[in-house]
Amino acid sequence: INTYKGNIREVQFGRPKSEGGRGKVIKIGGQKALYRFEEPQPNNPVVTFDIFDVPMPGLPKNIRTYFEEVMHDPAEWAKLCVDKFGADMITMHHISTDPKLKDTSPRDAAKLMEDVLQAVDVPFVIGGSGDPSKDPKVLEACAEVAEGEKCLLASANLDLDYKKVADVAMKYDHNVLSWTIMDPNMAKDLNKKLIAHGLEGDRIVMDPTTCSLGYGSEFSINAMTRLRINGLKGDEFVNMPMSSGTTNAIGAREAWMVNPEWGDRQYRLPLWEITTGLSMLLSGVDIFMMLHPLSIAVLKEFGQTLTT
Amino acid sequence: MAKISAMDIYKLLPKTNCKKCGEASCMAFATKLQNKKAMVEECPIMNAPKFEAKKKELVELLSPPVKEVWFGYDDKNHRATMGGDEVMYRYELTYYNPAPFGIDISDNLSDNEIKERAKYIENFVFERTGEKLTLDFIALRNASNDPEKFKNALQIIQENTKMPISLCSINPESIEEALKIINSKPLIYAATEDNFEKMLNVLLKHKKETNKEFALVLSSKQIKTLKGMAKECLNHGIDDLVLEPHTHPENISETLDKFIALRRSAIEKEDKLLGFPILGLPINTYFYTLNNNSISQFIEEPNKAAGIMEARTANTMLIRYADAIILHGCEIWELMPVLTLRQALYTDPRKPQAVDADIYPIGNPDADSPVIMTTNFSLTYYTVTGDFEKDGVKCWLIVLDTEGKAVDVAVAGGQYNGENAKNLIEEKGLADKVNHNVIILPGLGAPARGDIEEKTGWNCVVGTRDSSQVGDFLKKNWENILEKIGKNN
Ligand code: B12
Ligand code: SF4
Repeated sequence: INTYKGNIREVQFGRPKSEGGRGKVIKIGGQKALYRFEEPQPNNPVVTFDIFDVPMPGLPKNIRTYFEEVMHDPAEWAKLCVDKFGADMITMHHISTDPKLKDTSPRDAAKLMEDVLQAVDVPFVIGGSGDPSKDPKVLEACAEVAEGEKCLLASANLDLDYKKVADVAMKYDHNVLSWTIMDPNMAKDLNKKLIAHGLEGDRIVMDPTTCSLGYGSEFSINAMTRLRINGLKGDEFVNMPMSSGTTNAIGAREAWMVNPEWGDRQYRLPLWEITTGLSMLLSGVDIFMMLHPLSIAVLKEFGQTLTT
Repeated sequence: MAKISAMDIYKLLPKTNCKKCGEASCMAFATKLQNKKAMVEECPIMNAPKFEAKKKELVELLSPPVKEVWFGYDDKNHRATMGGDEVMYRYELTYYNPAPFGIDISDNLSDNEIKERAKYIENFVFERTGEKLTLDFIALRNASNDPEKFKNALQIIQENTKMPISLCSINPESIEEALKIINSKPLIYAATEDNFEKMLNVLLKHKKETNKEFALVLSSKQIKTLKGMAKECLNHGIDDLVLEPHTHPENISETLDKFIALRRSAIEKEDKLLGFPILGLPINTYFYTLNNNSISQFIEEPNKAAGIMEARTANTMLIRYADAIILHGCEIWELMPVLTLRQALYTDPRKPQAVDADIYPIGNPDADSPVIMTTNFSLTYYTVTGDFEKDGVKCWLIVLDTEGKAVDVAVAGGQYNGENAKNLIEEKGLADKVNHNVIILPGLGAPARGDIEEKTGWNCVVGTRDSSQVGDFLKKNWENILEKIGKNN
């Protein structure tokens, strides 16, 4: 048993009804030790279901089968995730705001955000399209309609106006996903900048980038392990909980490709996502963005054994 | 653990600089030893009696905190080697021996089934990024508890394969019988609290009579008991040990906790009695899931659900220090992710991820063959060439120096650009190799197309997104492309 000088910060999502919120509250982080046998781990790992504002024709068939009927309506999609698959949280990806796609306006994105907030009582992650100039505007509009709900704004990174994202989070009471590319120093650098700008450290979740199994997952494992250990050693700039975009795993050809030599994709695809997720879980990740309901069930079941 | 310096090693060497080891000096040899690139035995001078004490000290100094243990045949291609690790986290130094994977064979199967399964295990291969990922040993399981059946099954396996074998039985009589006919060094599973004395007697007798080697698994859910058994074995000169702190399928975290505790004792506390490889048994999860399918909502067939849950256990064990594992499920979809995870965990974090930039002929191309441009990231290169080989694609492959970045990464980072392409094309004289002026780009390379056309003066056509679709794409379009825009003069 080892002792640690520092501890991981606890971040809260959602606002309880008693405080005028929509209901469910989720907490992540808060660890005082690396392993559960050194000190009980306070919060279960959390999975947030990815949903999109367009029907995503590119998704592999054996994921589509679960959502086919609701993919045209994000509010229904969110409901299905919560009611049928027990989602802790939902990630609303506003990918159609991409200027190269539909260039949906921030106002329309915010309207959609209101609808999905109404539909379910779980906390949200709010994602843009990845366009560095558009994302801060989309996040701002959505953050405003979700004021006080302590969502996770995805994301702030060094390529975009992270100050604006931080301002929005402070103004409307949300958290910020601080996303960098697999380099622990970059993660620290961005967190420092966000904090220097005035954002409280307890509103930051780090995303050091999840590479899929077979496509550099070992780099992610290294980066995450180092960040977690340094956080526990007392580095106040990297002791935030971590997030993983585990869905990336589905992009690996070993997951999605139909290839009889590789056996049935029905089992292979979720297992690729599960394996990627488990690698991240055991490297310290607290919140997972995932897609396949089976992968999510397996990861959550395992995650719970780590905290009990 | 403090890292040993070359100087510490040098001090124990003969210091004659006689070069018999093939190195220029004793110091150079010391550096090689430090990096595990040589063995103490390669210095012949150290074998002289007067160096005996120093040699022993040196071997001790160089021995990793987790002992390296092997089983199988004398020739190195038919061995499973485990352990040898020195660090807790893979970013500190590369992990050492990739954990061998064993697949079980029950001695209750018919002779023919045993043979078929053994062959399947031996021939299993999944190829990825230029590496052949394979299975490593057969775990012969004494499910019948009958020594004769056990022996018979062993006979069949030995006759049909040259796979290393783990003899799995807690019945000392079965082990005794099997040892009589085995012709390789086995991994014996297991000595337990209950059979310890009897098992030890059988093994000591075998050792005395035949002087043959074996490795032994100690199995107990108590770390203290494992330690006690290890001590006892070492006292009797049995030192190729492996630890198995029980796999609990119903709460796998409990097992993982013990793995961590064992590895910490070995590496951080340098406890020699626990400094042995760890064996994990995902197979227990397999059989547990057959009767407790917690994912039946998604997967009803018990054996498929069992495969998924078994892989889950295997993966967590690999991340948490298992040095060898035994599985039951051996369908390709189950093993692919587990083998890939092992490959990832054991790649050297310091190894370059790039191949040499060049223009490579793929499948004997001629002057009419297409020119295709990709990047020098090794993962990209091997994926692309693997696909091309499978589909019989003939082409000239421009492998651009993108500092080892994948296509979309290099596009985003600016290394996949016209200037870079121009230099390589001119340097390698692409214009002399073909009589057209078309380059096919990957779908993800599309944003760089304008720049590449402008700088190189070649026409670019954006191909498919994935390299597995290139074979089809060329069949359908290459003639047309040549016709329309490609012909020179
Ligand atoms: C690992 C990774 C990294 C690693 C790089 C590892 C490496 N050596 O490349 C690191 C951390 C360094 C990194 C850095 C960056 N990354 Co990055 N990274 C990834 C990631 C997760 C995987 C990439 C990968 O390994 N692909 C696998 C290989 C095999 O694919 P491939 O090379 O494309 O080859 C395939 C096809 O292109 C095709 N193909 C190949 N050749 C040919 C030829 C022909 C003719 C045809 C038809 C097809 C074909 O077949 C191949 C097999 O499928 C992706 C996200 C993802 N895709 O999952 C992001 C991603 C590529 N990165 C991205 C970004 C933005 C960056 C950075 C710019 C971030 C930053 N701001 O610093 C930097 C750039 C660094 C630089 N170049 O200087 C973005 C790119 C977005 C975009 N398209 O604009 C992505 C998509 C992530 C995202 N969603 O935002 N990254
Ligand atoms: S053989 Fe031994 S003594 Fe001779 S140079 Fe090499 S290390 Fe030194």
